[in-house]
Amino acid sequence: MELLDQISFNLQNGFDKIVASLTKDAVEKQIPPKEILSNGLIAGMNIVGEKFKNHDIFLPDVLLAARAMNGAMEVLKPLLIKEGIPIRGKVVIGSVKDDLHDIGKNLVAILLKGAGFEVIDLGNDVPAEKFISVAREENAHVIGMSALLTTTMPVMKKVVDLAKDEGLFGKIRIVIGGAPVSKEYALEIGADAYSYDGANAVETVESFFPANSQ
Amino acid sequence: MIVDFAPEDVDLDRAAILRSQGIPEEAEFTENFELIYEGAIELFQKLAEPAGIIVGITISEFKEVFRGEGLNEPENPVEDIYRKSSYLALFAVTLGPVLSSKVTGLFDNGDYASGYMLDSVSSYAADKLTDLAAQHLQSELAVKEPAASSWRVLSYSPGYCGWNISGQKKLFEVLHPEEIGITLNESCLMIPVKSLSGVLIAGAGEIHEFVNSYPFCDTCRTKSCIERMRDLK
Ligand code: B12
Repeated sequence: MELLDQISFNLQNGFDKIVASLTKDAVEKQIPPKEILSNGLIAGMNIVGEKFKNHDIFLPDVLLAARAMNGAMEVLKPLLIKEGIPIRGKVVIGSVKDDLHDIGKNLVAILLKGAGFEVIDLGNDVPAEKFISVAREENAHVIGMSALLTTTMPVMKKVVDLAKDEGLFGKIRIVIGGAPVSKEYALEIGADAYSYDGANAVETVESFFPANSQ
Repeated sequence: MIVDFAPEDVDLDRAAILRSQGIPEEAEFTENFELIYEGAIELFQKLAEPAGIIVGITISEFKEVFRGEGLNEPENPVEDIYRKSSYLALFAVTLGPVLSSKVTGLFDNGDYASGYMLDSVSSYAADKLTDLAAQHLQSELAVKEPAASSWRVLSYSPGYCGWNISGQKKLFEVLHPEEIGITLNESCLMIPVKSLSGVLIAGAGEIHEFVNSYPFCDTCRTKSCIERMRDLK
């Protein structure tokens, strides 16, 4: 099997250590990093995504593949940066203030990373101002917010309002999610989008970048 | 009364846990998946510290607790049900803080699949703990009151069925779940996260029946009332 196919195969099976070591081999064999990324890693992740959609595999399998992807990206990222290959987009994500629950947000962060986005995870209990200040400092393209209960949702509106006040609205896209959140709520507060699960979150964020989607 | 449960008391129904992850009954699994599932069950048995607090309350006292911050839906099923009850008790249950820190730890270490599975098993178990609290109350009641063995004890929680989540404040004031290590933050979120609270309503099975066509039923994410009412039969 060709090296990039091996990377894809092992990634699909969640063998993270093998994927990292094969990625290093590929770099040593002078395969261009962009090619390793597209024809090895992303090719593998695409198959994982398809199998997941068809119920051939389930979320834990996808998460194992995502871990393998992240490990390989540690190897590739410095090289991609050095070659000036643009990242797919930068997302600042967190669970809003007073929300100490973060599993949904974690899943979205992992799946976005797996899809090749750079993700800055602010954790949970994140004040509205912090979403804005970090997004500004990091020149992020997207802010993602998560909430578990209706009582923590108002922070989402605060972030949208702050983004408007600071002239970031339209420049930074805002996507929200979490069990009590809805499309209607996103519309009501003026967020750009709502996603009901991790796979949908990736599709939504991808839709913000039509030009460079893979 | 404080009740210490053991992790083994919780019936971890595999099919139900997988269903809660959206996995169909007839699914086939990879070897990795099986390992992760087994690992999560093992961790749960090792780390869960299930506990509950159950405190009896009169209908008139509960009226105040239920009113909470005055934000409940004007029409809701709980209001009708508790008035017809034979016995009421406030309750809170938790799986303790260690499980939640383990989930976070697994995610931080990049072990996302195990973290997700442990979280999912724990969420399911927290729900089951409420059933255990209800069973516990029922057997306590049956000792004093023979009729109680035919009663049905069901839980109702703030954040469900028109009982506004801000109702947690009054409930905590009266119940004191701090005694089993649960605290409430400004946003009415309980810490540890794998905790549940509410009222256990005991009475004849019929009192729990209602038509789920309230305006808020449309946006309810769980629709667990359907299954609960079916089980009454
Ligand atoms: C499992 C569950 C629990 C578990 C644990 C919760 C947890 N997550 O750890 C237990 C049983 C302990 C529990 C307890 C309670 N719960 Co509960 N719970 C649920 C349930 C059934 C699923 C939530 C869940 O964990 N899903 C799995 C995770 C992985 O999904 P997720 O967090 O939603 O994230 C996904 C998406 O939302 C999305 N997403 C999430 N964040 C983001 C961010 C971005 C940027 C994007 C794009 C997408 C995105 O992608 C994620 C991955 O797929 C929901 C109903 C539902 N079906 O959603 C109710 C629900 C959240 N609970 C509810 C309530 C009321 C409670 C309690 C207050 C009840 C009580 N009084 O005891 C307590 C509160 C607990 C606390 N600590 O304060 C209500 C909240 C309603 C409200 N008014 O706020 C809900 C909505 C049920 C309902 N009534 O319809 N709960």
